[in-house]
Amino acid sequence: MSARLAALAAASLSLAACGAPAPGDPHRQVGPNPYLPDIHQYLMPPAKLARIVGWSGGRTPTVAPGLKIQALAKDFKGARSLYVLPNGDILVVESDGPPAPVRRPKEFVMNLLEKKTHSPVKAGNRIVLLRDANGDGVPEVRTVFLDHLDHPFGVALVGSDLYVANTGSIVRYPYQAGDTQITAPGVKLTDLPGGPIDHHWTKSLTASPDGTKLYAGVGSNSNITENGIGAELDRAQIWEIDRATGAHRPFATGLRNPNGLTFEPTTHQLWAVVNERDELGPDLVPDYMTSVKDGAFYGWPYSYWGQHLDPRVKPERPDLVAKATVPDYGLSSHVAPLGLVFYTGANLPPQYRGGAFVGEHGSWDRTQLNGYKVVYVPFAGGRPNGMAQDVVTGFVSPDGKAYGRPVGLAVDAHGGLLIADDAGNVVWRVTAAGG
Amino acid sequence: MPSETPRSTARIRGHPIHPMLVPFPIVCFVGTLVTDIVYAVTADMQWANFSAWMLSAGLVISVFVVIAGLIDALGDTRILRLRAAWIHVLGNVVALALAVVNEMVHTRDAYTSVVPEGLVLSFLVVLILLVTGWHGGEMVYRHGVGVGRDREDRP
Repeated sequence: MSARLAALAAASLSLAACGAPAPGDPHRQVGPNPYLPDIHQYLMPPAKLARIVGWSGGRTPTVAPGLKIQALAKDFKGARSLYVLPNGDILVVESDGPPAPVRRPKEFVMNLLEKKTHSPVKAGNRIVLLRDANGDGVPEVRTVFLDHLDHPFGVALVGSDLYVANTGSIVRYPYQAGDTQITAPGVKLTDLPGGPIDHHWTKSLTASPDGTKLYAGVGSNSNITENGIGAELDRAQIWEIDRATGAHRPFATGLRNPNGLTFEPTTHQLWAVVNERDELGPDLVPDYMTSVKDGAFYGWPYSYWGQHLDPRVKPERPDLVAKATVPDYGLSSHVAPLGLVFYTGANLPPQYRGGAFVGEHGSWDRTQLNGYKVVYVPFAGGRPNGMAQDVVTGFVSPDGKAYGRPVGLAVDAHGGLLIADDAGNVVWRVTAAGG
Repeated sequence: MPSETPRSTARIRGHPIHPMLVPFPIVCFVGTLVTDIVYAVTADMQWANFSAWMLSAGLVISVFVVIAGLIDALGDTRILRLRAAWIHVLGNVVALALAVVNEMVHTRDAYTSVVPEGLVLSFLVVLILLVTGWHGGEMVYRHGVGVGRDREDRP
């Protein structure tokens, strides 16, 4: 018996130690049919953590030909996400995650390592307002719009109701066009799954085109159920919340960490970018963007990219796996897409109109960095149509240190593409060159 | 004045340190096997978390156990003339190496942090400890390592 067990152990360990796949070309995983290698599990998962060094000496990210980039404003405290109000005022959400708990020895080590990949600036947990009325890229007004929030991320305005998605609740505030500060106390619309673990804490928010419903992205409470399936109650879902009553239902499920919730402007379909699971290899599992279908299940935790089983999840749910929906468009593995915006402006050159920009925060779970850029996915007829193109790069130095990391995106009133950089603590603005 | 039996060098007021510490990692590694088994049966993550903590604690305390044991082994050359001592040392080297690998397996997330490799490794470690523990006893109870009275230890 022991000899058989020993042989089994030796076989499985040699499997774990040798033959680890080398990181492949990420382009093979961009598009509707990403290449999916075999699962590989590790003794030590391959990792490369990009230390944050910040922007210095007038350095900026690099943009594609025909574009220019400049800092709209600097010195934020964790610039995570952006929202443009109807009068053109820009809201910058300053936020970070709640302290990560240590439930296992691994998490003690991971928390130490991850410190260097985040900005040393303590996040503001507030919203800052910028006003650049003439669109020259230099804000005339900068105020603290809303203070003392609870790890905020998503913002949505419907009429005069401004909704802020904190990590644990959606709160409504009264807003009038031109306000530069809100002092009125908020009214809670609904609780959201927050602590005590709160692994994926960003709550993306958007309103339906008719304004009756809100949609909130609620990420999973773990990589792959290692905090127990009970911790995942009401998570890894997009919630549909009735604006009148605060009642909610799961609009779509099995989405590990959905962000960038946005309605596609021509089809009025809800879209999201989703961060998929880690520690199955440098090229598993591809993160993706997808239209989000009402009632659909997208696999997490049981399977990925349709019916590909994840061996780490027990008990299995073949009934759910059988109906798992395949996402629309792969973005390649571990890029960590957190921002999504459809470009409806008229400033950028024609090749950037009608499609989607995606902000990729960047990888840790592979030895070659992936992401750390903003890409453009062309659309036709409300569907992705063609290869994603690098639009804003240069967030990483040649020796693998990060000047900044792109997160949330927005389009300003003058058609400029705005990028929140939560590591460099800058809001970047991309416009047409010479424009 | 040399004692009649091999003596312990790492000791406090005549009490050898190695046998004082060695129950801790043994209990930790046996406990890891038990909670691994319970996790494999229940798939309830708290048991896998217990395993990860006990395995880590066992390895940390083992560092001190090994240091005390090495000081004893090198402090009295008569110890390494015992066959039991070599089985004890070499067996525990293998057991600790497997426990280190097991620690890494247990850093995986959810089911495959235990099943199957973690469970197999936990079992092998305990199996080896049964043998090496027996030979540790052989050294003490049959050969009197560390139990002899010599002049300087006399109260």
